[in-house]
Amino acid sequence: MMKFLFMIIFMIPLCFLQKMFWMVQMMMFFLMYLFLMLNVNLNIFSNLSYVMGCDIFSYGLILLSIWICSLMIMSSENLFKMNFYSNFFLLNIIFLLIMLYMTFSVVNLFLFYFFFEGSLIPTLLLIMGWGYQPERIQAGMYLLFYTLFASLPLFMGIFFIFDNMNFFMMYMMKFYNFNLYLLYISMILSFLVKMPMYFIHLWLPKAHVEAPVSGSMILAGIMLKLGGYGLMRILIIFQEINMKLSFIWIVVSLIGGFYVSLMCFCQIDIKSLIAYSSVAHMSIVIGGIMTMNYWGFLGSYILMIGHGLCSSGMFCLANINYERFHSRSLFINKGLINLMPSMSFWWFLLLSSNMSAPPSLNLIGEISLINSLLSWSSLTMIMLMLISFFSAGYSLYLYSYTQHGKFYLGLYSFYMGVSREYLMLMLHWLPLNIIILKIDYSMIWF
Amino acid sequence: MCFITFFFLFMFSMINLIFFVYFFMNDLVIMMEWEVISFNSMSIIMSILLDWMSLLFMMFVSLISSVVVYYSKSYMSSEKNLIRFILLVVMFVLSMMMLIISPNLISILLGWDGLGLVSYCLVIYYQNFKSFNAGMLTALSNRIGDVFILMSIAWFMNYGSWNYIFYLNFMKNDFSMIMISSMIILAAMTKSAQIPFSSWLPAAMAAPTPVSALVHSSTLVTAGVYLLIRFNDLMLNTFFFKILLVLSGLTMFMAGITANYEFDLKKIIALSTLSQLGLMMSILSMGFPKLAFFHLLTHAMFKALLFMCAGVIIHMMMDIQDIRFMGGLSKYVPLTSLCLNISNLSLCGIPFLSGFYSKDMILEMVSMSNLNIMVYFLYYFSTGLTMFYTIRLLFYTMINDFNLISIFNLYDEDYTMLKSMFILLFMSLVSGSLLSWLIFFKPYMIYLPINMKLMVIYVSLIGGLMGFMISNMKIFSFNKFMFFFKLSNFLSLMWFMPNLSTYGLNIYFLNFSKNLLKNMDMGWSEYYSGQGFFNIIKNYSVFYQFYHMNNFKIYLFSFIIWLMMILLLLLMI
Repeated sequence: MMKFLFMIIFMIPLCFLQKMFWMVQMMMFFLMYLFLMLNVNLNIFSNLSYVMGCDIFSYGLILLSIWICSLMIMSSENLFKMNFYSNFFLLNIIFLLIMLYMTFSVVNLFLFYFFFEGSLIPTLLLIMGWGYQPERIQAGMYLLFYTLFASLPLFMGIFFIFDNMNFFMMYMMKFYNFNLYLLYISMILSFLVKMPMYFIHLWLPKAHVEAPVSGSMILAGIMLKLGGYGLMRILIIFQEINMKLSFIWIVVSLIGGFYVSLMCFCQIDIKSLIAYSSVAHMSIVIGGIMTMNYWGFLGSYILMIGHGLCSSGMFCLANINYERFHSRSLFINKGLINLMPSMSFWWFLLLSSNMSAPPSLNLIGEISLINSLLSWSSLTMIMLMLISFFSAGYSLYLYSYTQHGKFYLGLYSFYMGVSREYLMLMLHWLPLNIIILKIDYSMIWF
Repeated sequence: MCFITFFFLFMFSMINLIFFVYFFMNDLVIMMEWEVISFNSMSIIMSILLDWMSLLFMMFVSLISSVVVYYSKSYMSSEKNLIRFILLVVMFVLSMMMLIISPNLISILLGWDGLGLVSYCLVIYYQNFKSFNAGMLTALSNRIGDVFILMSIAWFMNYGSWNYIFYLNFMKNDFSMIMISSMIILAAMTKSAQIPFSSWLPAAMAAPTPVSALVHSSTLVTAGVYLLIRFNDLMLNTFFFKILLVLSGLTMFMAGITANYEFDLKKIIALSTLSQLGLMMSILSMGFPKLAFFHLLTHAMFKALLFMCAGVIIHMMMDIQDIRFMGGLSKYVPLTSLCLNISNLSLCGIPFLSGFYSKDMILEMVSMSNLNIMVYFLYYFSTGLTMFYTIRLLFYTMINDFNLISIFNLYDEDYTMLKSMFILLFMSLVSGSLLSWLIFFKPYMIYLPINMKLMVIYVSLIGGLMGFMISNMKIFSFNKFMFFFKLSNFLSLMWFMPNLSTYGLNIYFLNFSKNLLKNMDMGWSEYYSGQGFFNIIKNYSVFYQFYHMNNFKIYLFSFIIWLMMILLLLLMI
């Protein structure tokens, strides 16, 4: 595990060389394939060394984060062309990758916390440094303080646990059971903010709207999944109390998911719509994790990976439009099928994956989550039906508003999609729909 | 492009025909399974079921689609993105195949969702508002069905597998099976546009006409019927099938009446499709799945032909679909009129055309069954209505005067379209008798009193007469509709279903979402977390800054207060 970390760290000097933008990206792909070859024992923690190790769950998320980070570089070619601090941008992404890699691969609870919060800083720098409007300061503050506010109780909680267990190791946590109410709340809340659950999701649309494309991709792709990862790791020691209290989170997140998917219909900013849609998807993930059954856990895992690829791809598409129209408003991004028919195809594919059409990972994830939630209580069926229906509704709303109809007449000039963009979209879409052929690697854990 | 696609689809259809005959003669069923994953004693399986039913249906679907593709070579010849169109049609056929061959609730999603999505793309193919709205209505109505299938997957989890055909008889009275059957019926009703969901089918006529011929007449809308044919064992003689019987009978009745008010050529045909779907669904819910399947196949043939004729007519009428402008077409375009007439009369069930075999058998089986007068009335009245709007349509388009323009040149020499129509013409002539000889190796015994036997002829004659009379109505007679203004509004607008399922429904959700956005996301959530917290901190810091301005009066005042407090403390000691 350490070797991959060193590989990432030694990519740092590469950022400061001139004209090495694509080299960094290629090295990330290379890292991705090296990591893919890692001999992972699917069932338990393997490759243990010092504080690092991985099981199938962290393995998939590390792969996803390397993949998304390399695609982030690919999507922000404009920074390279304009020479908009592209070296620092690469440095930032590599720092982010180090943080994410460590978050997913450490087995030490405190180090997990450390890197979990540490990944905020590069993200904040991305938003503050490469965002578009002055409002990005406020968005950055929202991002920082929403997550920090809930993370200090987590910090306390981790040390309380250390006080009792006298160690930090995650893989030993299953032998413990903390039936403590306040500890439970303090440990859970930080992850719920990160996910985000309804009521505490406000930072997400704001951060997305102000972030550059790479920031949005990493936010939707990985940052939301940190919360799910943390929940799944932490809930092991709270099994008993979670049985009593899980209904709160499930009810809030399911109803919230329905509300958020309704709110998507009122958005006129493409990015904000996609951000709200990811809140709606994450709400089902929270529900699935909180049911604490096997279907729920693996469904959340698969939906998290699927949603990471899918929403990141959609943010890419939004940015492709933004680079041409210099607007993300749905009133201006219209009739694109006339201008970019091939891009419209990718819009359709990614949006249909977003509404969990087969054979995407989202479908398998959503089926498993529906199974888990329905076996938890059949009353969740109502909300699940509404969420599932409206997810199709807003996806089609976005598709038809951007692609259909007359195009914006104030448009002066326009250029078609370039092969970099098509490659980037394909690299989002292909794993999303191919992994289902060998889904048992990600479904069988125990 | 068109020809290659046509060729492959046609060959596929012929191969399916050969396999159908082979499978049928030897009574073979082949089931192939690919286990995607298996854990917790549950297995998700991609399964393929090949029996005579699926092979025959695939043969019909690929035949119609091949013909439609060939037809669109001429119909869509001035289309810039013809390749996109053909690809969409091929994708559609592919999803239909996936739907037909998979008897597994999870792997059927591949076809079921695919049908909804691809048909959405096909409906919004033209870039105008009408097709935009129609596409959204179509896709969202179909999505309801998808959601119900997703939920029934979750209810199916108890059985450990999603291969539903194994559990249909065995688990009939289980509670979750009851839930499943209700959801499957709802899903099938959305796809087959039964009554609460039927507004999308006439709206989907915004699609290009070849799409209407393929998608909205013979394949997509029959997917629901096909699913229920597969699920038939489960729901036989249950409460749900009784409800379905009433709803589908009402659909038949409603569509028949509405078609008489309609002047749009494609919409009349769409409503007649709706009526026939009601017929299939209702005979299915009475427990005759084979008859429903038989009518499904024959109906697919003549309805696709009918749409293709409509397409030719729309082309030659300078893209006008209103039947009031048409007339006398039998003199100007005899070949197209021939096809139109044969398919129309086959729709009515004129003897020895293909519709006769299926429809007459259905109606006689209805007469044989133990039914109440209401269902009987719905069946026979709708049969009369079919004759009614068909004859009306024939007189409007074929017999009456041509009303569009005074100088015109109608052509009937588009042989690409005509050739493809003749294939279907042949099929709609013979498919009824051929299929009835093939798939009913044991004939139904029908024993009826003479009046009940002749009831079909009575209602058809009355309906035809009414259609003839109404097609010759003059403008002042139309004004008599004003006497029943509200009633005729109700009947002509499909019982207000399009309004109820679009404007009547979405305004509540949109208002709700607006309120949510204003009150929750920009309101209370912000007040209690982001902005509210900020305000509190800001106010306090302003307050303390006010202290720190070293105002002399406040300084003295606080000094005195401190003194008093110290004195009080001293006193307490």
